[in-house]
Amino acid sequence: MPAPQDNPPVRRQRLSRVVNIGLPYLWLGVFFLLPLLIVLQISVAEPRLGQPPYTPLWEWLESGVLQIQVNLQNFMLVWEDSIYLIAFLNSLWVALVCTLLCLLIGYPMAYAIATAPQRWRIPLLMLVILPFWTSFLIRVYAWIGILKTNGLLNHLLLALGVIDTPLNILHTQTAVYVGVVYSYLPFMILPLYANLSRLDPTLLEAAADLGCRPLRAFVRVTLPLSLAGIVAGSMLVFIPVVGEFVIPDLLGGPETLMVGKLLWTEFFGNKDWPLAAALAIVLLGLLVVPFVLMQRLERRMEETS
Amino acid sequence: MSERNSSMPIALDRRNLDTWQDPKATPYVRIERVSKRFGEHHAVEDLSLDIFKGEFFSLLGSSGCGKSTLLRMLAGLEYPTTGRIYIDGVDVTDVPPYSRPVNMMFQSYALFPHMTVAQNIEFGLKQERLGRGERAERVDEMLELLRIAELRRRKPEQLSGGQRQRVALARSLAKHPKLLLLDEPLGALDKRLRENTQFELVNLQERLGITFITVTHDQEEAMTMSTRIAVMDAGQIMQVDTPTAIYEYPSCRFVAEFIGSINQFEGKVVESDGDQLLIETRLGRPMRVRNFHPLALGTPVTVAVRPEKMRLCLDYREDGVNQLRGVVEDIAYLGDVSIYRLRVEGQRVEMTLTNTQPRTEQVLTWDQEVAIEWSPTSAVVLTE
Repeated sequence: MPAPQDNPPVRRQRLSRVVNIGLPYLWLGVFFLLPLLIVLQISVAEPRLGQPPYTPLWEWLESGVLQIQVNLQNFMLVWEDSIYLIAFLNSLWVALVCTLLCLLIGYPMAYAIATAPQRWRIPLLMLVILPFWTSFLIRVYAWIGILKTNGLLNHLLLALGVIDTPLNILHTQTAVYVGVVYSYLPFMILPLYANLSRLDPTLLEAAADLGCRPLRAFVRVTLPLSLAGIVAGSMLVFIPVVGEFVIPDLLGGPETLMVGKLLWTEFFGNKDWPLAAALAIVLLGLLVVPFVLMQRLERRMEETS
Repeated sequence: MSERNSSMPIALDRRNLDTWQDPKATPYVRIERVSKRFGEHHAVEDLSLDIFKGEFFSLLGSSGCGKSTLLRMLAGLEYPTTGRIYIDGVDVTDVPPYSRPVNMMFQSYALFPHMTVAQNIEFGLKQERLGRGERAERVDEMLELLRIAELRRRKPEQLSGGQRQRVALARSLAKHPKLLLLDEPLGALDKRLRENTQFELVNLQERLGITFITVTHDQEEAMTMSTRIAVMDAGQIMQVDTPTAIYEYPSCRFVAEFIGSINQFEGKVVESDGDQLLIETRLGRPMRVRNFHPLALGTPVTVAVRPEKMRLCLDYREDGVNQLRGVVEDIAYLGDVSIYRLRVEGQRVEMTLTNTQPRTEQVLTWDQEVAIEWSPTSAVVLTE
């Protein structure tokens, strides 16, 4: 018997396996791991004037000594200066509130689309996706026109006699909520729709047959079976909103301190790349935790369902 | 198919269950002139049917004949366009499914994938607000009844098709319904499992005394299990009767052709004598048939004879009644029986003979000329 290594098809097979597994890892290495390491490196540097605007991690001194400089002050500052802590907490709070709002608004919409007659589903889904055809920035700007003191909303409410004096919404945290929920709603609806449309309607018939009223059937059957969609949609909203910059910058006011805005200021305003990089690393750390939790939950659901 | 039916043990003891013959009995389920339309499509057309307590009733028909729609209307999953439905004397036509005293076993089983076997069975009991202890007792009872106790902690996806079927049955029986609806209960099982399960279902039904209404497209299944069968076509019932009567005395050509195979000879009545008719057929041969309904002379009729009712004729005469002569065209050897296809003056006639001899010693072979006959009591006259 010849050794299997001598067999050309086997060798080819092994090569194709290496390529199949290697290529995605190469991609991740070059476009994810490497940039991450660069950011990590900047976060432990010191700011300086020049190009690049931070000190290098290592340097060959003329005396032939390799000098490695690791500066943890940026992280200390993030921890010590309460403005950063407040920004982080506020970002998480805004993301949490907006995720819950998206879920409350998005779930009924996704459910309605998933249970609509077949010929209506695609048009309704199109309506959900349609806003993406306009630039995100323009849509957020449009909200300024709606929310400002002499904007569309106030005009409407005044004309209807609901209020006597214009509401002050723009440049408050409320405006940020409105903008975020509006912008991220499709990311909640789409995974929920994908999940709910696969739900076997005979399960609800079986529940009804076994004496379950529609509302109870929803709680006992539909809701637990759509948990995967709820988790996926919530993560798709929560994670980007924590680092959201454009919406709080355009719609928020001085009270809306969010990490994304702070990061921007440090990076472009103060030209403090190391501090901005440290903020980014901490933010990443904060987001990895819910992501790992979600994966664990998903694995558990795969085991059970 | 006919030889399969005749060899089937359809003689399950049903003597105490023929309540439908008692004129004083009140039907347990009464379907009164029910129609169901989906847009332009008429799924069920002006259908009336009485089903009695303790019956194992089958709705038999090909797909799209309206049998499933009828069953879903009994469950409350569809509402009739017109007509009324009564269960145990109560008008349930507009009662939602969750308030009806019936349970259904779904064709796809519809087990809840996020619940264990025990939780699935317990589901209906929880809606009844039974105490925890009583629920556990009832779940144990069901697990034992269907011999699936070892599966109680499994999830549906960890079960085989046969196991799922049992769990679905246990879940639908857990609430002790008086009426159980079964939508193609054996449809998803393989052939061997199906045969075993047929008998189990019948035993279960007799032991529990529950009225079963099943929907099936499988005539064999309907014949084996049912006390009575309703053969349906295009939203209407063609015949309701016991399996034996449906097979032996079909009321129309549709039923005769749907159940088993049958030879048909067209002709017209030329003589009516007591309970016997003499019919002149297109084949030129006279046929004598026993018939209990008087028919006028000249009435166009079809004489229908099952293949297994034919036998070889030893004293063939040119003017013989119920005798035919033909040539063997095809032989299908099925082990226990053989099906012979004869050509009789341009018409194909099928005959089934039991293989009492080894095949090598069989008397009939291809292209052989053969005479066959049958008795007047084995044939049926069909007028529609």
